[in-house]
Amino acid sequence: MLGALAILPNPQVQYSARGTTHVIRLEVPSLFEYRDLAMRMVASACRLVDVRKTDGPRPKRDGQFTAQVMSAFGEAFNNVVLHSYGAEGGHLQIEVELAKDALTIRIMDFGKTFDIHSVPTPNLDDLPESGLGIFIIRSCMDIVTYSPGTPNVMSMTKYIGNQ
Amino acid sequence: MNFSRIDSGEETIIRIEGVLDAVTTPDIRPEIDSLVAQKRRDIIVDVSSLRLIDSSGVGVIVSLFKRSKAYGGSVRVSGLKDQPLTIFRLLRLDKVFKLA
Repeated sequence: MLGALAILPNPQVQYSARGTTHVIRLEVPSLFEYRDLAMRMVASACRLVDVRKTDGPRPKRDGQFTAQVMSAFGEAFNNVVLHSYGAEGGHLQIEVELAKDALTIRIMDFGKTFDIHSVPTPNLDDLPESGLGIFIIRSCMDIVTYSPGTPNVMSMTKYIGNQ
Repeated sequence: MNFSRIDSGEETIIRIEGVLDAVTTPDIRPEIDSLVAQKRRDIIVDVSSLRLIDSSGVGVIVSLFKRSKAYGGSVRVSGLKDQPLTIFRLLRLDKVFKLA
C-alpha cells in the first residue's frame, strides 16, 4: 500500500552531553498489521547497542536487555492502537535514539491523550488478565514519561547495563 | 502464530509457536474456550517455540488457568525461555504455573 508506510530519511546523527547519538525514525499507520514491522526495527536497534559499545570489552548479554525493551515497546504500541486512536485510526511515529549509555524510544501519536498517573498498579496476586501494559512498560524501562499534546509523546529510556 | 493441540487421555498439550500478542490472541482464544468447555483436566502449554508474548497473550493463558482451576483442572507451562520467560517472571507467573 503505497504511502501507508514511511521510513523517514537517513538516520540522523545528533550531539548531546552523552556524546554522539544516532536516531532512527519510522512512521506507520496505527494498525496492528504494522506491529511486527515496528517490533523488528526496535529489535534491530537493540542489537546495535552492542555494536556501538566500542570502548572496552563488550558485555556478555543474556538477552534481558532486548527482552525488556521489546516487552515495553510492544505494550506501548498496543496502547496507541487500542486507546489513542481506536477505530478511527491514524499514524504513529517512532524514534529510537541510540546513545552510548542508553536506548530511548519515543512513540508519538495525534490521538486521544491519557493520564499515565491514573493507571493503577495491578495486584499480581489476583492474576489479572488485563491492565498490565503500563506496569510492564514501567517495570522494563528505567525512565518512562508521557507528555500529552500534539503529538502525545511517550518516552521510554533504558540504560545499558541495567538489566 | 501457529498452534497445535494433542489430546492423550486426560492430558492435553497445546503448543504455541511464534508471537502471541494483541494481533494473534483472537486466533487461539476459541481453542482455549474449547479446552475449558471440554473440561480438560491436565493441560500443558508448550511455549518452547514461542518467540514473543505480550499482556494480551499472558491474559489468555491466565484465563485458561483460572477457568480450568474452577473445575479442578491444572495448567502447566513448559519450555519458557527468552522474552516470554522475562514476562512470566516479571508478572510472578513463574510461581503460579507449574513449570513443566
